[in-house]
Formats: sequence, C-alpha cells, structure tokens
Amino acid sequence: MKAAPLPPGKKKGREWIKHLLILIVLGLELVPFYMMMQISFKDNTTFIQNPWLPSWIGDWQWGNWIFGARLILPYVANTVFVAVTGTVASLFVALMAAYFFARYRMPLHGFLWSAFLILMLMPSVANIVPLFSLLKSMNLLNTLWALIIVGVAGGQVFNIYVLRNFIEDIPRDLFEAAEMDGASHFQQLIHIVIPMSGPILGTLAILSFLNMWNDFLLPLIVLRDEELFTIGVGLIYLDGEYVKQWGRIMAAFFIASIPLIILFLFTMKLFVRSLSSGAIKG
Amino acid sequence: MAQPISFRKALREWQLYFFLLPSALLVGTFAYFPAVSAVYHSFFDWQGGDTKRFIGLDNFQRAWGDSVLWQSFVTISILVVANILKLIPSIFAAVLIHRLISDRSQYWYRVLVVIPMIVPSLVTLFIWKFFFDANLGVLNKVLDATGLKSVLVWIDGLFGWDLFLEDIPIAWLSEPRLIIPALIIWGFPWIGSVGVLIYLAGLQSIGKEVYEAADLDGVSPFQKFLYIELPLIMNQVRLTLVLLIIGTLQGFGLQLLLLGESGGPGGRGMVPGLWMFNRAFVAGEFGYACAIGLILFAFILVLTLINNRYVKVDK
Repeated sequence: MKAAPLPPGKKKGREWIKHLLILIVLGLELVPFYMMMQISFKDNTTFIQNPWLPSWIGDWQWGNWIFGARLILPYVANTVFVAVTGTVASLFVALMAAYFFARYRMPLHGFLWSAFLILMLMPSVANIVPLFSLLKSMNLLNTLWALIIVGVAGGQVFNIYVLRNFIEDIPRDLFEAAEMDGASHFQQLIHIVIPMSGPILGTLAILSFLNMWNDFLLPLIVLRDEELFTIGVGLIYLDGEYVKQWGRIMAAFFIASIPLIILFLFTMKLFVRSLSSGAIKG
Repeated sequence: MAQPISFRKALREWQLYFFLLPSALLVGTFAYFPAVSAVYHSFFDWQGGDTKRFIGLDNFQRAWGDSVLWQSFVTISILVVANILKLIPSIFAAVLIHRLISDRSQYWYRVLVVIPMIVPSLVTLFIWKFFFDANLGVLNKVLDATGLKSVLVWIDGLFGWDLFLEDIPIAWLSEPRLIIPALIIWGFPWIGSVGVLIYLAGLQSIGKEVYEAADLDGVSPFQKFLYIELPLIMNQVRLTLVLLIIGTLQGFGLQLLLLGESGGPGGRGMVPGLWMFNRAFVAGEFGYACAIGLILFAFILVLTLINNRYVKVDK
C-alpha cells in the first residue's frame, strides 16, 4: 500500500510544471504568429539586423501596413462577400432539405436520404477536374458566384445531416399546433424551426464560414481577374513575386486575418464549441 | 425519427418535395455530375475542350506505367505515417490541459489552442514557407543559434549525406532530399486545434474522483494516461486518425503552395492529387487527370469502407 494523498504543497508544485509544459508547447505553436506580427513593422534591413525582437515603437514601418491594406483589402472584401453569402445560402437550403427529411416519411424518403448520405463517404478529389469544365460550360468561370454555388453544394450533406437530427428533436406538438392555425410548411420553418435552432445554426455557420474562408484551390482555378481575387489567390500571387519585402508581406498576412479575429472575439465561446463538435464532420 | 405518413396524406403534402429541390439540384449538379463525368472522361483523350476521342483503357494503362504516379504514392504513404505520429503532441497537450485543477486556466488554454485557427490556413503555410527560406529563414537561424546545426553537421559527417555543411545555409525547399523532411517538419510542434478540442471533450467525462482514487493507489502519471485517459479518448483518436488519413491522401494544397505545380526540385514532393492537378491544369491532359483522380478515389473509398466495417465510431 502506498501512502495517503500527496500533501497539498507537492500537488501545487506539480500544477506549476503542467502550466510550464503547456505554455512551452503552445508558445512554440504560436511562434509563426508572433513573427508575423513583429516583422510586419520592420523593413528588410531591420529584420536582418534584429530578427527576433519587436523593433522600437518609434521605428515602426507603418508604410508596410498601408501597402498591405491597399493590396489586400479588396481581396478581403471579395472573400467576405463569398463566405457570408455562401454560409447564409448554404444553411437556408440545408434547413429546407432537413425539414423535408425530419417531418414526414414521404414516399422515396429512404432512397433520397441514402442518396445524400453516400456523398459523405465519397472522396471528392476526383471531382475538381470535371467541375472546372462544368463551370466553364455554365459560363461561371471568373465569377465569385461559382465559388458561392460550389461552396453551398459542398456543405449540404454535413449540414443536412446535423440539422435533420436537430429538427427531429423539436416537440411534434409545436408543429401540430401551428398546422391547426393554418401555418404552411414554410411558415413552420420560419417561425418554429429557425428560432429553436439558434445555437446549432451558429455552430454550423462558423464551420461553413471557416471552410469557405480558407478555400484557395477552387478560387485558384476559377478566378482570372485581379478585381475578383479572394484572399487565397491574392496571397498566392503575392508569394510569387521575386523581390520580397517581408515586412509588407507579413502586414498583408496580418490584415487578411483581421476579419476572423473580429469574428473570434465576438463569438469566442461559440467558436470553441463549434470546433469541438466539428468532429462529426467527415 | 420522422413521422410515418399515409400515402394519401403524402399526396396532399406534395409541396414538401419543393423543400428538397434546391438542395437536390445543387448536389446533383456539383457533386454527382462531376463524379459521373470523371468516370466517363477517364476513357477519353480529352484536352478540356469540346473535342474528345474515345481511347478505352489507355489512360489507365498509361497510369500503370507512370513512374511519377507510383513515386507519388510512395511519398504520400510516408506523409501519412508522419502525420499519424504528429497526432501525439495534440493528445499530450489535451491530457495536460485536462489535468489542470483550475477550470479557469483550462478555459483560457483552450482559447489559446484555438488561436491558430483564426489565421487563414494559407497564411500559416506561407509563414512556414518563409521560415524554410535558406538565407533569411527563421528555421536556419534557430538551428544556428541553438547549436543544433553543428549536431546535424556531425550526423551528416557520420553517414556522409552531404546535406548539412558547416558554412552553407540549409536549403530546405530547394534540395530534393530535404523536401520530404520539410513537409514533415512543417507546423512544428504540430498541435491541431480541432484535435485538442475533440480530445478535451472526450476527457471531460472523467470525474475528479477518478484521479483522487488513482492518487490514493499511487498510480504514476503515465499509468493514469494509459489506463484512465487513453481508453476514454480512443474513439476520438480513431476518428481523427481516419479523417487525417483520408485528408492526407486527397490533399495536395500543402505541396502546391510550398513547392509549386511540379512538386518542387526533382519532383520529390509530388503527391497523387498534385499530379492530377498538374496533368489537368499544366499539361492540359484532362482525360488522364480524370483517370488519376479515379484511381485515387478508388483507393480512398476502399479505405473508407474498411474503416466503416472495422472501426466503429459512436457519436
């Protein structure tokens, strides 16, 4: 038999080690962002002389930020447009389909459900080449709508899957009472389902927004005109320049991150919860 | 469960099908159609335009003899194994955070873990690309400053690799033999935000009493991990493992951004997805690209089916 619980003093001591270990690991994980921030205020010469520490506040190169903002803000605007429109449309379309699956077992219910679900198992890697020629024949190349529509279609299966389970848990009496009052299905969707699924819609919205925000492959093959570039393509072209002013590039990177930082600050709890539940995604 | 409905009532509710219509149209056009089109076009010599020529199985025959494709499958296998090992730091971090007594610090560390997610993934990648830069790059500076460089040079001398030399900066992304190591080192210390959060959610079900009981019995921290924590997050670990393997196999964004369309010097970073992309959008061989896509597709599908059969994941 070993002895009684450890004395409190020793326990405290172990706590301290855990904090230290976590801080070291997370600190290393955050090094790229620290570097991004401090380099964004330096020019190449200052960076070579002093790569590690932030430079003195009086020497900060605000020019980098002006350059970065001019370059990247139009791209940020495009990306916000795509991600917001795409997320809202994706959730609304998925909500309608989920309502169809959750309310009644209509004829063909089982067949249609499997037809959706099977897409979860199908790897999408082979799709990108035919998708390109499809968009070309639909005259959607070089438009932001292509990104939105494909994004909405891509998010359907997962969103419908989650929302169906959620709508099925809404008490049936609510729907029946509404029907007695002569509410159509569309009214039931607007007045019962949407108000009751606030948190789950928030979670799905964050996941869907992140997906569209981070996509660069589709924009890279679809977009040609610089005015239409999203952040992804814009940064790829910036990376391709020969003479690199790292300070300017890092400032552009930082500005590209600002919208998500704002979203994160306002929805910190929801954000953390969304990502924890993102596990079901497949 | 959805409510059963009589056929007669269903006829009266026929408008409900309109609810499904937008979603079905989108999925039909942008998920089913491309998939069918990929199968169809893999039997054609097709440059992406209107003209195409039926060539039977020639594309697949060509793929069988395509040494780049074979090599790319070897490369991706190495990366899959490396990525599996890279799950360990996330598990380690999650367990450490979970073992903290204070709920407040647990919450704040969780927020810290999420921070990398709010920077676009592309930006993180480009910052790493900058870290790998031979002359200005941060990685070489760290190796020099910590003396790790001399260790590498010493090991190099032992094996005669000629990769790490005393006075020459290490060219991470331009020396063919260093490309796979660079693709692995990328993202050090490999904490996956989503992974950590998922593991933490799994660990949540362990009560404080379990730890107190374990302390009473004098269980060592490592035994606690082996017998209490690991079994509880096994489901989550399996799930992340499956997603990771599938994701790595189909992914090629990392290679495209770090190394370019042809997989870097010597094509050492070429992976199957990138080769498909390269054939279609660089060489204009859309038919052959479809065939490569299908081969990769079949490969992943088999893995998914095996996984669904043998790995049960409870939600």
